[in-house]
Amino acid sequence: MEIRPIISALMRSKVAMILIGLQVALTLAIVCNSLFIINQRFEHMRRPSGMNEADTFWFGSTGFGQGYDARATQLADLQLLRQLPGVVAAAPAWSVPMSGGGWSTGLNLQPKQKTSTADTALYIVDDHAVDAFGTHLIAGRNFKPEEVVNATFGDSLHPAAIIVTKALADKVFPGGDALGKQVYLDDDPPTSTIVGIVDRLQQPWTNSKTIEYTTLVPAHMPFGNFTRYIVRTEPGRRDEVMKLVEQKLAESNPSRIIGKMRTIEQTRNDAYSNDRAMMIILGTVIFLLLTITALGVVGMASFWVTQRTKQIGTRRALGATRFDILRYFLTENFLITTAGLVVGGVLAYALSLWLLTHVADAKLLPWYYVPVGFVSLWLLGQIAVLGPATRASRVPPAVATRSV
Amino acid sequence: MLKMQHLSKVYRTHMVETHALRDFSIHVREGEFVAVTGPSGSGKTTFLNIAGLLEEFSSGEFWLDGVDVRGLNDDARSKLRNEKIGFIFQGFNLIPDLNLFDNVDVPLRYRGYGAAERKKRIEESLSRVGLSSRMKHYPSELSGGQQQRVAIARALAGSPRLLMADEPTGNLDSLMARGVMELLEEINRAGTTIIMVTHDPELAARAQRNVHVMDGQVTDFDAEPALRVKARDTDVEAAVA
Amino acid sequence: MFSYYLQLGLRSLRRNPILTALMVLGIALGIAASMTTLTVMHLMGSDPIPWKSDKLHYVQMDNWSPDNPYNDDGRPPDQVTYRDAVALMEAGKADKQAAMYKLALPVQPANRELKPFQALGRVTYADFFAMFEPPFAYGGGWNRDQDAQHARVVVLGRETNEKLFGGQNSVGKTVRLDGNDYTIVGVLDEWNLRTRYYDLTIGAFADPDDFFIPFTTGIDLKQRSTGNNSCWKSPGDGWDAYLQSDCVWIQMWVQLDSPARLAEYQSFLDSYVNEQKKSGRFQRPLNNRLLDVNAWMADQKVVSSDVKVQTGLGFAFLAVCLVNTIGLLLAKFTRKAGEIGLRRALGASKRDVFGQFLIESGVVGLSGGVLGLLLTGLGLVAVRALYTNYKTVAQLDWTMIVTTVVLAVAAAVLAGLYPTWRACQVAPAAQLKTQ
Repeated sequence: MEIRPIISALMRSKVAMILIGLQVALTLAIVCNSLFIINQRFEHMRRPSGMNEADTFWFGSTGFGQGYDARATQLADLQLLRQLPGVVAAAPAWSVPMSGGGWSTGLNLQPKQKTSTADTALYIVDDHAVDAFGTHLIAGRNFKPEEVVNATFGDSLHPAAIIVTKALADKVFPGGDALGKQVYLDDDPPTSTIVGIVDRLQQPWTNSKTIEYTTLVPAHMPFGNFTRYIVRTEPGRRDEVMKLVEQKLAESNPSRIIGKMRTIEQTRNDAYSNDRAMMIILGTVIFLLLTITALGVVGMASFWVTQRTKQIGTRRALGATRFDILRYFLTENFLITTAGLVVGGVLAYALSLWLLTHVADAKLLPWYYVPVGFVSLWLLGQIAVLGPATRASRVPPAVATRSV
Repeated sequence: MLKMQHLSKVYRTHMVETHALRDFSIHVREGEFVAVTGPSGSGKTTFLNIAGLLEEFSSGEFWLDGVDVRGLNDDARSKLRNEKIGFIFQGFNLIPDLNLFDNVDVPLRYRGYGAAERKKRIEESLSRVGLSSRMKHYPSELSGGQQQRVAIARALAGSPRLLMADEPTGNLDSLMARGVMELLEEINRAGTTIIMVTHDPELAARAQRNVHVMDGQVTDFDAEPALRVKARDTDVEAAVA
Repeated sequence: MFSYYLQLGLRSLRRNPILTALMVLGIALGIAASMTTLTVMHLMGSDPIPWKSDKLHYVQMDNWSPDNPYNDDGRPPDQVTYRDAVALMEAGKADKQAAMYKLALPVQPANRELKPFQALGRVTYADFFAMFEPPFAYGGGWNRDQDAQHARVVVLGRETNEKLFGGQNSVGKTVRLDGNDYTIVGVLDEWNLRTRYYDLTIGAFADPDDFFIPFTTGIDLKQRSTGNNSCWKSPGDGWDAYLQSDCVWIQMWVQLDSPARLAEYQSFLDSYVNEQKKSGRFQRPLNNRLLDVNAWMADQKVVSSDVKVQTGLGFAFLAVCLVNTIGLLLAKFTRKAGEIGLRRALGASKRDVFGQFLIESGVVGLSGGVLGLLLTGLGLVAVRALYTNYKTVAQLDWTMIVTTVVLAVAAAVLAGLYPTWRACQVAPAAQLKTQ
């Protein structure tokens, strides 16, 4: 092919080439890094919570006034909830995955251990919680009703039995023999026994580095006058049950406020709204960037075709076929794009390194984004230049003999 | 070498039909140097475009070096143009972004010659026009006469059987024009057929044969060698009238 | 001459409507992307109280575990313990001081038609109002005596007053919170806080506080903060043990009116901590901090890295748009070489040509700027839709509007500079001969 003469012709009009090349370079650098960030967010959002998210909702109840008995109300509420049609399971739960607020503690193997073996989120629940969360016991057993003790908030927690997630069990007991083992949830004895292991249940904090380290603690322990409930319904009946619950609980006790009912789906949406916003913004920028770059290529190529009409006619007169002309412009675009892409590859890593030093949790751009970006921008350039190049190929050879 | 019979060319716009060539017949034999003359708008450029396969014709017959040109598609015409015809334009039509070597190289690339063959031909044809020392120069660094020599070198590089020259000295002063003309005559003596379109009767007079185009029709002076020798513009027009 | 150039520019732009549209749209998109992101970043990070942000200081002390730092990078805890907060309040060494924490309380409206509702408020000291200067619609804050008396007084937020009293002056009336009656001493007006900088531990873009009650009164309720609470060892059983524990859950601010006062307070704080060390607390190295408002906001990363990345991206996008515009203008002006040559031949100086084409690119820039401003408005609407808690920072203010237009024109003129310069290099009549 006629690559060398195209290059030497391009070297004669460096500015135009540099402008398009620079545009391609910046586009590659930005698109690669943006796509990488989008992909990271996507992976981040995709992590399963371990819950049945479709059929579950949660809400809070706050009592007021001096005569309010939080513990009695909680027991009555649970009894009421469990009798409602469509309810599969209901449990008190201090927090739920992705809600953003909750309690955590260090889990230790020794009393007064200086550095905790693992940090775990605590869900203070009762014996219906495994069912209500919709998580699955993979070893051991559920809590027995008598293990759900009455406790006062503010006192140290020493549950006899706890259920932990598999991830936490494996972290604390790498041998895989966590079931039946004793751990400390507090600085001092008594210990708690791991009676069950569930496959997965996330912590409430989506940005936690130990998101799968969760412990279920059996206790009836309202937070002051506040209790939070989690309810799982039969498939497809969530919204209907939600309305019913709101109405029944409001009727049952006038000296309290029933908080907003929130589905786990809403909770997930809210928890990841910043990530989703980032993805949308980056996606929009990528789209606009590619559009602008494509339009830039079309604009410059159209200009070149107009400027070189005579030259194209001459080439045709000297024996170039239409395809030869088409190929000339495609090749030219390919060469400019390639030059831009080579620079862009370097820029992409420069940008990635900058992000690495300025943004927490940033990772170095994986290498395969660059070749994928190369191919995409090659294609974009070729498609963009196809219009002007086709127009060029239609320049009649008789243009060569036209005097102006 | 080139034979047209009852050829016509009609330009149609949505309003009018213009007959650029009408019942046009001409026969150029191998080795001839034919000058095609005529006033502006007479149809000589149309003739040149059709003869050079740059444009199609509406009806009639046209053989180029024994090939029936009728019905050839665009690619076949491009190939034929590339192999059989060399072009010299009034405005030189060199590609400003390419140096002399690459300019001469253009038709050879389309011919599909290998690198060594191309290099040999480029060097040969540039030395034939006396510019082999300036191969790396760009057209803008040359005078008009030198540029036209490059154009001639480009036309010759592919060893065409027919050279089509369109006002080859139109943009040159008389001294340069003479040099270019002498070069063309030398090429013709070496065996290449030349058809030269010009409105300059002095130039036309140096050709072996003059063809005068008027209103899309042709007057061939082939049969009247006496006129050919000392024809002046006014005389020719008088004769036609 | 200017109006003639303007005329020429407009005519030239009208002649190639698609190319013109492409250039204007390019600049507009670039401007919109960069300005939308810059506005969000600017407002997020902007000084919320510029007239005294260097006087308000956030108190941090390192009472954390001797075995594990609170932050891996060595920064001290972001809150203080109850006992330290009270000790600092009682010492009263600063010009003004206020400890505070967040509390949720049920509101029981006297009006039976209104349902009880949950309110999120702040438990703090009298100085809070003088320090952070919230605007009052009615009444004012309580005084230091009322702090000392554990007074049952309350300052209502504008919205709470709207809900309970229809926006009327309710000073002197009472409101029942969780079974206790509080006398209303003040009602806030609309408090346009872009960032709730006085409590960054629960997110900078939370809703405004519904009510304020005295710290001493709040402690009597024996209710834990609904904000963050961190302990490095078990606090022990019961409320009193919790108050005496090393759990941090209180934000402490001091106002220090001069650098000298700041230095004094710093040494007071150091001696306080050294004193505490004698009783076995504060086992970590001395690490007291008194960051001012802006430093504290930077420390708490109020401007998230996402926002910074977006802003960087916005400007990179603007750069691409500019490169694009340079290319298109270059193409356009080059095509006009003949006209330029003719004008030069007819007596136009280089300066004339320069002026003519620079005005043409200026017109492109101005149109791009105006369109970009509109798109920035749309972009901010989109940001508000995407980030529901950014409603206070995704707003255009006059600084930003002016910045946008100036940036757009500057960008377009900058983009037009090189093509214009190239156009000026055309020699008179050089273009007339050939072609």
